[in-house]
Amino acid sequence: MQRKEISVALAGNPNCGKSSLFNVLTGAHQKVGNFSGVTIEKHEGHLDYGAYRIRFVDLPGTYSLTPYSPEEIVTRNYLIDERPDLVVNVLEGPNLERNLLLTTQLMEMNIDFLAALNMIDEVEEKGISIDVKQLQRLLGCHIVPTSAKKKIGIDSLLAHIVRVYEKNIEIRKNKLSFRPEIEEAVDAIAGMLKREKEFEAADPRWLAIKLLESDREVYHRVQQYPVWVKVELALQEALREAAKLYDSDPEMLITEDRHAFIRGAMKECVRFPEERKSTVTDYIDMVVLNRVLGLPVFLFVVWAIFQITFTLGSPLMDILESLFGAISAAVEPLLVNPTVRSIVIDGIIAGVGGVLVFLPNILLLFIGLSFLEASGYMARAAFVIDKVMHRFGLHGKSFIPMITGFGCSIPAIMATRTLKSPTDRLATILIIPFMSCGAKLPVYVLLAGAFFPPDVAANVMFAVYLLGVVVALLSAKLLKSTVLKCDSEPFVMELPPYRWPTLHSVLFQARLKAMMYVKKAGTLILGAVVIIWAVSNYPHSDEIDRWAESESVRIEKSAGSAADKKAAIEALEYRTQSLQLQHSFAGRVGKVIEPVIKPIGFDWRIGIALVTGLAAKEVVVSTMGTIYALADTGESSGELAAILKNDPSFSRATALSLMVFVLLYIPCVAAIGVMKKEIGQWRPVLLYSVYVLALAWMLSFIIYRSALLIL
Amino acid sequence: MSELQVGDKAEVTAVKAEQAVRRRILDMGLIKGTCFKVLRVAPLGDPMEIFFKGMYLSLRKAEAEGISVHKTGRTGDGVPMSCDKEGITCCGGAK
Ligand SMILES: Nc1nc2c(ncn2[C@@H]2O[C@H](COP(=O)(O)OP(=O)(O)OP(=O)(O)O)[C@@H](O)[C@H]2O)c(=O)[nH]1
Ligand SMILES: [Mg+2]
Repeated sequence: MQRKEISVALAGNPNCGKSSLFNVLTGAHQKVGNFSGVTIEKHEGHLDYGAYRIRFVDLPGTYSLTPYSPEEIVTRNYLIDERPDLVVNVLEGPNLERNLLLTTQLMEMNIDFLAALNMIDEVEEKGISIDVKQLQRLLGCHIVPTSAKKKIGIDSLLAHIVRVYEKNIEIRKNKLSFRPEIEEAVDAIAGMLKREKEFEAADPRWLAIKLLESDREVYHRVQQYPVWVKVELALQEALREAAKLYDSDPEMLITEDRHAFIRGAMKECVRFPEERKSTVTDYIDMVVLNRVLGLPVFLFVVWAIFQITFTLGSPLMDILESLFGAISAAVEPLLVNPTVRSIVIDGIIAGVGGVLVFLPNILLLFIGLSFLEASGYMARAAFVIDKVMHRFGLHGKSFIPMITGFGCSIPAIMATRTLKSPTDRLATILIIPFMSCGAKLPVYVLLAGAFFPPDVAANVMFAVYLLGVVVALLSAKLLKSTVLKCDSEPFVMELPPYRWPTLHSVLFQARLKAMMYVKKAGTLILGAVVIIWAVSNYPHSDEIDRWAESESVRIEKSAGSAADKKAAIEALEYRTQSLQLQHSFAGRVGKVIEPVIKPIGFDWRIGIALVTGLAAKEVVVSTMGTIYALADTGESSGELAAILKNDPSFSRATALSLMVFVLLYIPCVAAIGVMKKEIGQWRPVLLYSVYVLALAWMLSFIIYRSALLIL
Repeated sequence: MSELQVGDKAEVTAVKAEQAVRRRILDMGLIKGTCFKVLRVAPLGDPMEIFFKGMYLSLRKAEAEGISVHKTGRTGDGVPMSCDKEGITCCGGAK
């Protein structure tokens, strides 16, 4: 059956539940979070409904159609240029008054739209009553009460979409009229535009209103045509008039008239309970945003997330570790061919397994972060920390992508689109990689766990994260006071009420993240591990083998107890292995790098791990797993942590230095790619890479040298 | 507006900020005639949080300076706010 297609855009204020609704309607899994600016790109999805295929587009939230930040421009351009068949204006029910501003602008647009009065569950809970029928009449559009959370009104919404599309139910479109002086100006300008064939398709009245609102894009559009001369005169006339009569300007008057219309509609249709009860949000904020407690609470929340990640994660990690140990022990006798055995045991199990054991930690970290995002604390954190951020030339809102960066830099870099000022945005993009991402977590867990007692390990990790934040802030300050000088953007941000994240959505997100991690381990990391195994095994030197052979014969023949001989043979084996490694391709590359990283405590093996770590930060652990497993003679049951602990060249100071280096040095290729895409040029990205390398080296040097002195 | 204390209630009389800022403030619904209440100031002294038309908004003092207000009253500590009798917009609802 050929289905009729309807394209429907979901538009509305930030945080009104568009993505939630989109997910319910199309079965998609777009990210949902309780703060403004979660969605930053348009997303498409569809649903087959009867004889129709409804194509939904989820758009970034916007407060009005005169856009402000880059992601809001996406929405406006979509609505104006792509002209969907229908717009569903999603309204945040409990916050109707502000949400209706966008509705009034849609009313002016001469576009088919209907409204979804979302979060109807919260409306009822708060005891607010809304006269939907009357509101429909006033707004001139259909209104369907919905709840994306409780899945109320979804069918009714779909039915309305089809009926409005087929014009089966009409509602008399209502026109919002402004005060007479503005109407006169609008009519005059619209009249001029109507006579030009360029503007025939566009709605002249809408263009006129936008011109009076000094909308830059519409200005540019009209300016190209000769009619502009006349239009400009009319605009100036309107400006003079507004100044004379109201001591104001047309833009202000238009906004005021819209608000007056909304005020009237609210008065007529919405009843609030007599007495406003204090909400849970009020009580939580009394503590969380308290003048004295605010900052400690903030620090505690972040600390708690990392504490949980480590302490709750480590027993689970132990289980996985022994599981991989058992697999390795079970598989080993089955593999007769020594090459295959080495690939499987030293390569795949040590490398991929070495990364997979951190799955519990990664999961806990993401659960913690998604709780922050879903609960509504994000905006609060930005509020509490804005002053600090401002000091360092950033914006409180920059903090939201920074927190996201603890999970992964890529979405975090994209999330900076919510920042309006290009310099703020660039500065934030450049410091996000200092916010230690989830992929670096395995490195810390491994090293902190191996070299510090369990009660200290979590705090060592937390200190590394803190160092990242400090470096990020200082770098921002440096950037903003040198190359990116510019006044920073204003801070006007809504604090949404707290909402309990549903267990289902948190678990679902966690599962998604876990699957992604496993997939990455099975593809990218597996590939990397096989390559690393190969380059650290070949070329193989027969000369070293022959030498080892003769040595072992010599030991056998020499005088001495059986135990002495055994020890000597073992030492020889170890030496042979590491000579072979050094002879291999990886070993030679490592040896080239070694002089550079020697001062910060790394030998050539770590050097290799750092190079391969550019592919993805987990690969640092895999590479070390493989290289150290190859050199290991089997005493420490193959567990990387144990091998490292027994390795004489690896000390606490090395561990600390390595953690700092991994924290700061060049981000993975995927993140670099996204940086380039968001910035648009290679030059800043390349300069940035040089900067972080130098910085990582210097800080590691300081840490390593002082750790050698102190520890 | 930046001089208001926690707990103060006020009415907006004019919004005179730089254009982009002003637009954002207006879009948020903070226009001439809106009554609001100062709920709190952030731990480090900036930004501040206000409540009006049923929503919580935070803005920096620098932005607040562009908004002229006249103080209409004062109720205690500012948190949590109960419905006030005179200003319909203040608690987000008409009687
Ligand atoms: N109680 C209730 N909460 C809802 C409902 N719909 C969405 N939410 C919550 O509202 C918050 C915002 O939801 P999103 O779907 O991310 O909002 P959005 O409009 O896509 O936001 P942006 O992408 O930032 O513009 C989330 O915390 C949701 O759980 C609803 O019908 N009822
Ligand atoms: Mg969204």
